[in-house]
Amino acid sequence: MPVARLSRLLVPLALLLLVAGPLLWAVGSTVPFGMQAPAWTTLLQHPQTWPALGMTIWTGLSATLLATGITACILARWLAATGTAQGLDKWARWMSPLLSVPHAAFAIGMVALLAPGGWLLRLISPWPSGLESPPAWATTQDPWGLGLIAVLVLKEVPFLLWAALAYVQQPGVQAQLRQSLRLAATWGYSDAQAWWRIGWPQLVRHLTAPLLAVLAYSLTVVDMALVIGPTAPPTLSVLAWQWLQDADPAINAQGASAAWLLAAVLLGCAGALVAWRAWPLWRQRQVRGVTLAQHAVTERKPDAVSAPLVTLLGVYAAVLAALAAGSVSGPWPFPALLPEVWTLHAWEGVLRSSRTVWITLGLGLLSAATALAWVVAWLEWAPLDWQRRMRPVWMLPLVLPAVLWVVGLHRLSLAWGLDGQAAGLWLAHTLSALPYVLIALQGPYGGVDPRLQQVSAALGRSRAAFLWQVKWPLLRSALAAALAVGFAVSVAQYLPTLYVGAGRFQTVTTEAVTLASGGQRALTAAFAWLQWLLPMLMFGLAAWWGRPRRWPAAAQ
Amino acid sequence: MSLDIHITQLASPAGDLLRGLHIHVPAGKVHTLMGPSGCGKSSVLAAVCGTLDPGMLWDGRVTLHGQRIESLPVQARRVGLLFQDDLLFAHMTVRENLLFAVPAGERQARERAVEAALDDVEMREFLHANPAGLSGGQRARVALARALLAQPRCLLLDEPFSKLDAALRGRMRALVFGLVARRAIPALLVTHDLADVADPQHLTRLDTGGAL
Repeated sequence: MPVARLSRLLVPLALLLLVAGPLLWAVGSTVPFGMQAPAWTTLLQHPQTWPALGMTIWTGLSATLLATGITACILARWLAATGTAQGLDKWARWMSPLLSVPHAAFAIGMVALLAPGGWLLRLISPWPSGLESPPAWATTQDPWGLGLIAVLVLKEVPFLLWAALAYVQQPGVQAQLRQSLRLAATWGYSDAQAWWRIGWPQLVRHLTAPLLAVLAYSLTVVDMALVIGPTAPPTLSVLAWQWLQDADPAINAQGASAAWLLAAVLLGCAGALVAWRAWPLWRQRQVRGVTLAQHAVTERKPDAVSAPLVTLLGVYAAVLAALAAGSVSGPWPFPALLPEVWTLHAWEGVLRSSRTVWITLGLGLLSAATALAWVVAWLEWAPLDWQRRMRPVWMLPLVLPAVLWVVGLHRLSLAWGLDGQAAGLWLAHTLSALPYVLIALQGPYGGVDPRLQQVSAALGRSRAAFLWQVKWPLLRSALAAALAVGFAVSVAQYLPTLYVGAGRFQTVTTEAVTLASGGQRALTAAFAWLQWLLPMLMFGLAAWWGRPRRWPAAAQ
Repeated sequence: MSLDIHITQLASPAGDLLRGLHIHVPAGKVHTLMGPSGCGKSSVLAAVCGTLDPGMLWDGRVTLHGQRIESLPVQARRVGLLFQDDLLFAHMTVRENLLFAVPAGERQARERAVEAALDDVEMREFLHANPAGLSGGQRARVALARALLAQPRCLLLDEPFSKLDAALRGRMRALVFGLVARRAIPALLVTHDLADVADPQHLTRLDTGGAL
């Protein structure tokens, strides 16, 4: 290999080792810990294992399928009605604030809405419900997992919409999709037929990674399940988490085995998902064989198109309002719609724990900035075939069950002497944020026309000049958004903070989830609200910093 | 002052594109390369410019004003490049786009060079304009001014007129060919349009499969 080529590969090689080293070490270390025969025997004979596994599959698959179906329906409406790229930009812009709501905060807010003493029942009590006191209904932590499914669906739909819109907004994609749909209409297909047979199969091919992420999250979520999930049985991830917290090493090993069992289930479900994804492609090939329904192409009313977005925004607004009201409420007897006493007592408590807020902010900024710097360097300097081949490795933190990933991180921190250290926490948060930052940035980064660099080089300018003056300024909005995504992921980290931090570092998320199991309603709401507010502020800053250049009227 | 291209072999991963191509472009002349899509026209330009894809193989030499340039980095070759898309930097004004191309030096001299370049393409009044607000023809002229501001020793034109309407194409063609002659630099033009041929004496037709 020529020296010049070798030297060009040194930077990407260093970048690869920098992340692949700790990442693969963490994943690899879970194997001996989770593969002990006695632990597996105990696990498989444990009376809670199989019911918990059944509950996991039920809630995880239901949430994924429902979220995917709802996303497809919303996209069909939007694409049918939005004639321009700017129109889709508008929808995409609305997704960011929804995405910035952390899962745990959303779950806590939903509990405040749905609980027997929550706002929804207060709204209809005492009239017309006739209730004078909170009923003994299992509206949250219900034994069927319906609350968990609902919360997962509401949280994952904006993510899938955001991922789909990010793809559709790439140059030429929207036009091609529309042309296909129009072509199908000329063949006599109705709007719905055209979408399900032609449009959706084209789109879903590019949504495999986000769909797998949703599936992985839904099957393995811990913090949300702790707040709103069933308890008898709980999901397998919660059971594994409980076992991993036990003081007995044998029970710990059983927890690690449960995490591996969860990984196996996830692998099976992911295989099924990929097979299911292939189904519409097969159907697409059969398209000429079906009976055509002769429908006129109808234009949708804007109201009908906005309805799903308005509904989503309404739910999120209600959740945040419930948290906000809860955080400033004093005594609040049922069925009063508003608290009897408003107080800032909970927020004074938050102020007293300002160290928690500073740790959250510092950790989030540092991890997001590190992940962003690495992702930019990787996308810029790694050869394209390296990028393609390593992508599954970088996605491991995203697709591995959270409990398994945290076992690996914990063992890594123990082995490298980072347990309970700020550096260990920074590494854990960076590795966890990295796949999200990569997903957020790789589309826009790859979308930059390579001829711009050729033109710049032909003008005699160095690569550094091109990067600093042309490419990165052009990507300013995407870079800012990726940083905000990384920050939001870091803020939302629960298990890694708990385990790698060894209880020495509290963040707003660990506080909120811990408080959720206690009785301090106002303080829980305040921390949950803060958990949303911090990423929201970062998304706001990112939007401001990444806004398009304002041209004076004379320059137009 | 001329450009000499000798390509012994030019191949893509799919197979040979060209063998034994020799082109001599005198100063001030525009040499046209024509041929069907996929025959390697743009790859010849990329080989001269130094921007050939890593997967492509080529063997040969490129001599510009007596200097072998095929092993030089792109930045050192001093070749101007124009594509069918203007590729103006969208976040910069016309002035900033042009300043990017001016070699380092005294600020006022650089500003004067930008204004003179805009005079050359009759775009002086658009100095502070947003490129997105310009018409296709205006953008093409700014792109030409930018390419010439870097003081290239030759110009490589990859279908630069193909996206313009017929009337505009004629004006742009006259402008480019006039500036090439005035600056006495060689230019290599890739096109599908016979009307773009400046001089039939300086025309090479390529065929698929490597035959000339």
